[in-house]
Amino acid sequence: MNKIALIIKREYLTRVRKRTFIISTLLFPLLYILLIFGTGYIAEKSKQNLKIAIIDSSGYLNRTMITKQNLIDNSSTLTLATENANKIINDPKAEGYDGYVVIPPISWQQGSNHLLLKSNKSYGIGTTSPIDAKLNRIWDEVKNDSLKIDTAKQQILATSRLKLTPSNIKDEKANAETATGIGYACGFLIYFILLIYGSQVMMGVMEEKTNRIAEIIVSSVKPFQMMLGKITGIGLVALTQFLLWISFVLIIYNVGKFSGGGGMATAIVASAQKVFGSINVPLILFCFAFYFLAGFFFYASLYGAIGSAVNEDMREAQSLAFPITMLVILSIALMSSAIANPTSPVAVWASIIPFSSPIVMMARIPFGVPNTVPFWQLGLSMSLLIIGFVFTTWFAGKIYRTGILMYGKKPTWREMIRWAFRKS
Amino acid sequence: MAILELHNLKKYFATQKAVDDISLSIDKGNIFGLLGPNGAGKTTLIRMITGIFYPDEGEIIFDGKKFNPVNDVGHIGYMPEERGLYKKMKIGEQTLYLAQLKGLKKHDALKKIKEWFKKFEMESWWNKKVEDLSKGMSQKLQFVTTVLHEPKLIILDEPFSGLDPVNTNLIKDEIFNLAQTGATIIFSTHRMEQVEEICNHIVLVNKGKKILDGTVKQVKQDFKENLFSVGTELIPAAVNGNAPFEVVGTKDHSYVVRIKEGNKPNQVLQYLLQEGVNIHSFNEILPSLNDIFIKLVEGTPLTRQFLEQKQAANPNA
Repeated sequence: MNKIALIIKREYLTRVRKRTFIISTLLFPLLYILLIFGTGYIAEKSKQNLKIAIIDSSGYLNRTMITKQNLIDNSSTLTLATENANKIINDPKAEGYDGYVVIPPISWQQGSNHLLLKSNKSYGIGTTSPIDAKLNRIWDEVKNDSLKIDTAKQQILATSRLKLTPSNIKDEKANAETATGIGYACGFLIYFILLIYGSQVMMGVMEEKTNRIAEIIVSSVKPFQMMLGKITGIGLVALTQFLLWISFVLIIYNVGKFSGGGGMATAIVASAQKVFGSINVPLILFCFAFYFLAGFFFYASLYGAIGSAVNEDMREAQSLAFPITMLVILSIALMSSAIANPTSPVAVWASIIPFSSPIVMMARIPFGVPNTVPFWQLGLSMSLLIIGFVFTTWFAGKIYRTGILMYGKKPTWREMIRWAFRKS
Repeated sequence: MAILELHNLKKYFATQKAVDDISLSIDKGNIFGLLGPNGAGKTTLIRMITGIFYPDEGEIIFDGKKFNPVNDVGHIGYMPEERGLYKKMKIGEQTLYLAQLKGLKKHDALKKIKEWFKKFEMESWWNKKVEDLSKGMSQKLQFVTTVLHEPKLIILDEPFSGLDPVNTNLIKDEIFNLAQTGATIIFSTHRMEQVEEICNHIVLVNKGKKILDGTVKQVKQDFKENLFSVGTELIPAAVNGNAPFEVVGTKDHSYVVRIKEGNKPNQVLQYLLQEGVNIHSFNEILPSLNDIFIKLVEGTPLTRQFLEQKQAANPNA
């Protein structure tokens, strides 16, 4: 036991003290925020403002309407073309337009009318949809005028609506919208941790093997202790990184709450409060910790076994790790379907079978225990995952014991399974 | 008293019998040579003694009791042929870590590390990383990590490879020191001149089996071919059939003679004196361990193949 503790300590300290750990811990949240805001910013930036000529054969549109809408939304400018219409159709560019829309002689009472925005170049939906919206607002005005609906009535039509929100009678905290968000967040976090820290275990084992220190260590401790120490140590590193991130969030939350000012900070605090108030925090935290750790042990031991079986060649390792990585990716695919429909048979079974349960169950739990996820499912899923990771750790330990001292040709999965099941 | 006894040890792998029924006994304080060609099963044998492998059959008795890997590995120091240390880890920390894994308390370990580092003039290395060391330096470090916890049994696999003569002597002296203070050393190597110099007992392993076991002196006696070198100007051309020897060849201004069965060296001298030959020297020629090694190992398929290849490449030889 004492020796495992020594190994855990070494694995943990050498990683946590590395500069890359500190940088990645600080940088990952920043990158994440940058990614969210950055893509929005780029999408906003990449929009183009066009000059579009409207060639109206219906006779409903007039300059006043169009000018009014141009003032409300200044993205793309619409211009009513009259005398030079033919020239525009021949060559919009020469007339100073990026494109044109021909409104055929239609009646305002008719149903859906399909119009074409014709242009020399192709434009993205971010550019064309504001034009669509603008044109429809003009068309609304045409309809309102024809139906004699005044501003007061328009107001009523626009605001008086019914909105449907799903609500769970048994468990008010299992709000579907929040649950979807939390489910996605938890599922993806576990996914990233399995992949990132799983491959760290694999590379750590490969390093020991290629440095030839493995033989010295196994003359002092059992290979199984060596593997378990490594996995636990790296698991603790992952946990540390997590706790640091959570404390960042809490610090920002509290600073935002007490400073009181700052539009964005208060907005974040308010939304965080809303989310925390609307979910079962202790249950989700507990389950997250469980599925994170158990899932990590389940996969990390397999990655460790692969690391022990290959030599220094990274490509060998990747090709052997491919089936394992595919299982993790498959779990993410199953998670999306589980969130869309958390009580479907696929969701239920994917959240019970060990390989996918860490990700899929974590995505279902925010929808409510015990109503969406009955206790028996949660219990079965947890027990099977425990059995699963005990099995994979045992299995990996057997492969590890043989692989760590074996040099030469890369083994196949079939050979590795034989190592595991032959008598010792 | 024996520190280590192996009884009928066997370890079979899927494709070969790596260790096939080996028994041996090593006395305390001995420097024991474990010899054998590549692939003879030495490493497998050592891995069983260090608790890395379990034998398929047979028994290991360590220090009078049945070998229990969990407790006994703390009394064994093993330096594998393929050296290994964590490249990125600081030397002081690494040595401490390896010592603690062997069961030393932190405080004791630190004290011992300081002593050894002082002895080997390595004190300034504490905060360096292994990747900054030369091959010879890391070899010295490896030796220190092997013996730091004062093991009763020290297993050294090719301990001098890559060392310059100065450092070789440094380590050699330490090996003698350790043996004098009661440690037993198993020394595995292909370098026969080192074995002759250092070991007092040897075992030769080939193809998983023990083919030779004895003290260096005894083995040499057993394999002697009754050859003597006679330093003289000239041995009479006609050595008649009654002479108690035959001339086998000449070497460095002396004749090599083989004493015929049933005769004694004195009879050779007598015969030569009677013939009026001037003798300046008369020595027994004992076979070197190298010769014995090659003689015993030759004839195995691997060596035969090697020799055949050599002959094919050079048909006149």
